Amino acid sequence: MSAEEMGKVTNRTRLVFAISSLVFLAVLAISPLKDFSREWKQYKRSYLRYAQTRPDTKKLVADYRPEIDQIWLPAMNNVVDRCTTCHQGITQASLADPSVPQPFRAHPPIPHNVRDWGCTVCHRGQGPATEVAEAHESTLAWEQPILPTRFIQASCGTCHYSDLPQTPQLTRGRQLLGELNCQGCHRLPGIDRPTMLGPDLTNVGTKLTREWIYKWLKEPRTTLDKDGNVTVNGYEAEEEPRMPKFRLTETELRGLSAYLSVQKANALAPYKIDPRVVAAWSKNPELVSQGELRFRQMFCSTCHSLAVTRAGETKLIGGDIGPELTKVGSKVKPEWLVTWLRDPQGYLPHTRMPRYGWSDEDLYKVTQYIAAKLTDSDLLTTVPSLGQPTEEEINLGHRLFLEKGCASCHSIEGLNPQKDFGPDLSAIGGKNASELEFGASKIPHNLVSYIQAKLQDPLSVNAAARMPQYNWNQADLDAITTALLSMKGAPATSALQNLVVPRKEVGFHPTGAFAEVYERYKCYTCHKFNGFGGDLAPDLTYEGSRAQRQWIVDFLKNPQTLRPTLILRMPQLNMNDKDAATLADYMAMVLQHPAANPAAVDAKQFTPAMVALGKQLYEVKFQCQSCHTIGGTGGYVGPNLNNAGGWLTTAWIEAWLKNPQALVPGTIEPRRNFTEAEVHALTAYLMTLRQSIKPQKTASVASPRAAAQGAGR
Amino acid sequence: MRLRFFASALILMTIAGLSGCRKHAEAPKADPLISAYDTEADWNDATHVLPLSYQQAQGKRVFYQQCVWCHADSTPAGPSNRSNLTPNPPLLNDGATLNAESDEFMQNIITLGGSALGKSAMMPPYGKMLSAEEIRSVIAFTRAIAQPPYKPPAQPASQYSAK
Repeated sequence: MSAEEMGKVTNRTRLVFAISSLVFLAVLAISPLKDFSREWKQYKRSYLRYAQTRPDTKKLVADYRPEIDQIWLPAMNNVVDRCTTCHQGITQASLADPSVPQPFRAHPPIPHNVRDWGCTVCHRGQGPATEVAEAHESTLAWEQPILPTRFIQASCGTCHYSDLPQTPQLTRGRQLLGELNCQGCHRLPGIDRPTMLGPDLTNVGTKLTREWIYKWLKEPRTTLDKDGNVTVNGYEAEEEPRMPKFRLTETELRGLSAYLSVQKANALAPYKIDPRVVAAWSKNPELVSQGELRFRQMFCSTCHSLAVTRAGETKLIGGDIGPELTKVGSKVKPEWLVTWLRDPQGYLPHTRMPRYGWSDEDLYKVTQYIAAKLTDSDLLTTVPSLGQPTEEEINLGHRLFLEKGCASCHSIEGLNPQKDFGPDLSAIGGKNASELEFGASKIPHNLVSYIQAKLQDPLSVNAAARMPQYNWNQADLDAITTALLSMKGAPATSALQNLVVPRKEVGFHPTGAFAEVYERYKCYTCHKFNGFGGDLAPDLTYEGSRAQRQWIVDFLKNPQTLRPTLILRMPQLNMNDKDAATLADYMAMVLQHPAANPAAVDAKQFTPAMVALGKQLYEVKFQCQSCHTIGGTGGYVGPNLNNAGGWLTTAWIEAWLKNPQALVPGTIEPRRNFTEAEVHALTAYLMTLRQSIKPQKTASVASPRAAAQGAGR
Repeated sequence: MRLRFFASALILMTIAGLSGCRKHAEAPKADPLISAYDTEADWNDATHVLPLSYQQAQGKRVFYQQCVWCHADSTPAGPSNRSNLTPNPPLLNDGATLNAESDEFMQNIITLGGSALGKSAMMPPYGKMLSAEEIRSVIAFTRAIAQPPYKPPAQPASQYSAK
């Protein structure tokens, strides 16, 4: 084209110009239309229309803002949440009802204010987004999708490292992570690593046969029955056994069983029962039944369960602190069993089994009972004949023991313990989908699906996974997922660091004469002291304030007097006077609650008139008998008060009546509005209740749950 | 040549402008799996599982700590104290009795105890132990499991649905 032609305005040029102007006009007209129909603006208008149908239209409309609403929290890692643009009723109490359509419903009442905390801190998702899909779902640009509400407790756990009453699922998940020894291979923040994860195997060859080890490794008593329940030795169990199933080949099983069966590095000398006892009892036809009787009287069932068949239904009865013992007679070698019962710490220094003061006679009777009755002749029929372990098998087993990560949980003298054998999980809960390996699996590519698939079948996302196989029910799977999602690693900024509520450090490691008795009887296996210990039995942190010294001594020497109908009861420790006095003195000196001040109350001031008033208050005004029993009448919820005067201290009763939760946090007795005079009168009455301590079959049916909360006492 | 380029650029811009009007993906669907913490099996029919809201789930927690011992026929520990009491406390899912009581009455009797409202003194007051919010959540749980089902007092019906 020449320069002259360029300057000419032809009709064709005019036509082109006209058409393009029209098209531009159309495009310009579309843009305000597009803006008008933006998703968030539609929600804004819907909300206004919806407000018209509500009884409090005026307030809702007054609070309405037409623009994008944004919560900006510069101190909190620059959270920018525009969720409230559409979720407009979030702070309107009148919109709390579930019939209110989303996204307008009010947020359920939680301890945090939405305006101060924003939304994505707990719910994840993309705060700055103004479109439904972008805000809630994972896209390539934004990789954190919204957290499904069934795992929402994970968000509480990102700051609250201690357990909260409102988050049972998270607490359960953390508990499972600890109980199943996940911390053996993985680094998990806040999950304490106990001294002993799996048993020490240094001398396992003295305890078990090669055949039994083979069977255990092949199927560590974890099987799923046809309904998908976890069973132990074929009996349904509530808890998953700690030893998971490793996928081992026949050669590997032979190697490992060979290696373990020769572990006898520093075997204990077997304990020899006095031959006179053996001579006196071995021919006695009552031997086994006497042994069973002693087994029951010692309350072994508090920690160990046995399978019992009643009315055609077999289930495990007893506690789960120690292993289930139904077939233990076919498991352990008899000479090992005697030595073990005599001194458990001699074989396993960290075991929670107490050292009982067994007599030779008891030891003989009980071990004979176990060898005769707690057996299963079919237990090892599926195991092929293994023969003597060869040098080659032992070497293979030694190598496999390290390759499979066994030394993460089990120690053997001379082997270095393995640490951090599995991946570090301290920041698993904050991982983006792109950081995860999904392998050939067809699951949705997000963190929650990944965690659940990995937990259910480790091979599904990684064919070469070393993680063993666990069996979960859906609730436990969700609980563990919640606990893992809560582990988002250290806070990104120091400002966020301030939000972390650290885990309360608990420990109770006394010294001196008390410590020796405390360690020997392993009191902390069942009881709590200052937050440390088990939760099967009452918390003893303030036992010295609660119970009278003489009562404690009597109880320790014969623990069968309290709660006689419970299955899980304090075992017969065969405690001597000196040990009982040591424990009682220590409790009276140290395990004291500041609120129960013995000097503040003088039992001598109680008059018969006060006692009569107290009785009347107890029976008529406050009707305490709805929960407590006196003299055979009353409720089962609180402890039996028949012997209140011979058991509790005056100071404890007074302090308890004023504020039960101050003494035992979480106890179910409600705090009441007693006047000072009422407290004195009730105490005076309760102190008159006495009963000699002897076993009774008709007393209260106190609940193990209530007992565990310290309320059953 | 130039004209064709110009025209195609125009068409492309128009398409680009219009494409923005298309709806994005739908909102996420409700999770099909609900865990035990936010469900409760119907007391009269265990196969019927009721989903609980956050508040109702908190109420369930408080109920199984404090109330279950007298207001249910079985407890986590086994036997219930209910049959032991005269008058018999109502079961918590007893809609025939409790649906007729207002939220305000329920809040008061739990806070102040039975004797304050002319009922049995066996019902202790929980006002110094549970927060008002916790008591509200227990009531919400009661309403959730009531049989026959609880219907809240009449409110203006909503014909509305979002969008």
